[in-house]
Amino acid sequence: MKRRDFLKATLAASAAAVGTSASAGITTQPIDNRKVSNIAFPEKRPLITYSDRPPLLETPRASFTKAITPNDEFFVRWHMPEIPTYIDPETYMIKINGLVEHELNISLNELKTDFEQVEVTAVLQCGGNSRSAFKPVAGGIQWGSGAMGCAKWKGVRLRDILNRAGLKRDAKWIGFNGLDNAAYYETPIFVREMQIEELDDHVIVAYEMNGEDLPYLNGYPLRLVIPGHYSDSWVKMLSNITVTSDYQKLFFMDVAYRVPDNACECETPENRFKPTKPITTMNVKSVIGYPQNGTLVYHNSHVVVRGVAFDDGHGIKDVLVSTDDGKSWKAAILDKDTAGRYAFRAFRFSFKPQQYGKVRIMAKAINRLGREQPFAEDIKWNHGGYKYNGIDVVTIEVV
Amino acid sequence: MKKYIIAALFAMTSLNAQVEGEIQVPYIPFEIKMGKGFETVQANCLTCHSFGYMINQGPQSKKFWHEKVVKMIVHFKAPITKEDEAIVTDYFFEHYGNGRLE
Repeated sequence: MKRRDFLKATLAASAAAVGTSASAGITTQPIDNRKVSNIAFPEKRPLITYSDRPPLLETPRASFTKAITPNDEFFVRWHMPEIPTYIDPETYMIKINGLVEHELNISLNELKTDFEQVEVTAVLQCGGNSRSAFKPVAGGIQWGSGAMGCAKWKGVRLRDILNRAGLKRDAKWIGFNGLDNAAYYETPIFVREMQIEELDDHVIVAYEMNGEDLPYLNGYPLRLVIPGHYSDSWVKMLSNITVTSDYQKLFFMDVAYRVPDNACECETPENRFKPTKPITTMNVKSVIGYPQNGTLVYHNSHVVVRGVAFDDGHGIKDVLVSTDDGKSWKAAILDKDTAGRYAFRAFRFSFKPQQYGKVRIMAKAINRLGREQPFAEDIKWNHGGYKYNGIDVVTIEVV
Repeated sequence: MKKYIIAALFAMTSLNAQVEGEIQVPYIPFEIKMGKGFETVQANCLTCHSFGYMINQGPQSKKFWHEKVVKMIVHFKAPITKEDEAIVTDYFFEHYGNGRLE
């Protein structure tokens, strides 16, 4: 045994002896007791507030009884500190350049009148949503379960815009840039890239969210919508689309938002796994909106559990609910899936609490591929705390 | 006739934003721990992000905090001196650390 290994073993042994290592490395439920701020951000009601510059706002759990997240409750996540605080819709232009036959500058009005208008209802979720579940604490904002939401987006197909511009033969990559800026000129611009092969008809450039203009903090006046994918690529205040033949090396593509490229997408703090891969598509997940941790209900009363479930677009087949610590599971009633396969599927489950005291309610979603949410404790660690999708648990009090 | 002009004006202003004028993102006074190196943190870190962004990373190791500072220098090109790099790391490890070096 090398000296360092010996020391580690000794440390582990002594930790075990005093009983401190028991919970080390075991994923738990995300933090759930954060209060909304008493200060509201523009076009938002007061939300859980992690940062004002750049703005980082989380939607409270109670919102997730609804299949559509209202605009004023929708979470907010920016990377750069300088965000335009005024945009003139009359003069706003989106530029399409690079390896195209015709460079385009499209106004909002042209976008709304010269192209086919399409709508898609899709979940927007931060790759680090629920990060606070990981132990040891993974790097990044310690989100609870509310760095997500579902909206009906209206706009124009990205493909239609690119067809109008005409792709040149060696066009392979599309780069997206928004109007947010770093504090230093030297900071590389926040560009996201997508391979043209990945592009399908559901990818749109959206100007409307739930029938209204996008709120500024959600990317007014235009943002990219990539249904099924985590939000790191849904560029806000989209101002430029550049087509290239080669992949550009970019921090937010190459370093951030990546998970270990192995079957479990996992690693340990001591043995970080290389290589890594981008987080891309979302795994199956559900969140209970009601009741909440600490909700008091009467014995034998009718409690209707409500929540939302989603995946990357394969669609939700079932949501199962347990009120006996996972010993038995019953199917919840799913809303009709009229909003399409990328949307939140709302569920409800009625039960009569038969015992007094604390009762744990668990929800587990299963998608059409048969993939289901694991228990939190079965989710293995990754350094960025990405892609948590543990079975959601709320503990109520029956009185 | 007047009525029609008003109607036409409304039609023309359909592109107007639902928000009038400029938005203002509020300043949030996050509680942050005072201590050695605090002024250096103020001077180096606040240019780009709020205290909230820093203190909501959870308790972390000294290595984590050092890597965060290095990330700001290497990837975000923050002009932080070698000396301040150490002071900022120590401040965060002292006040927002988990007691572990790595």
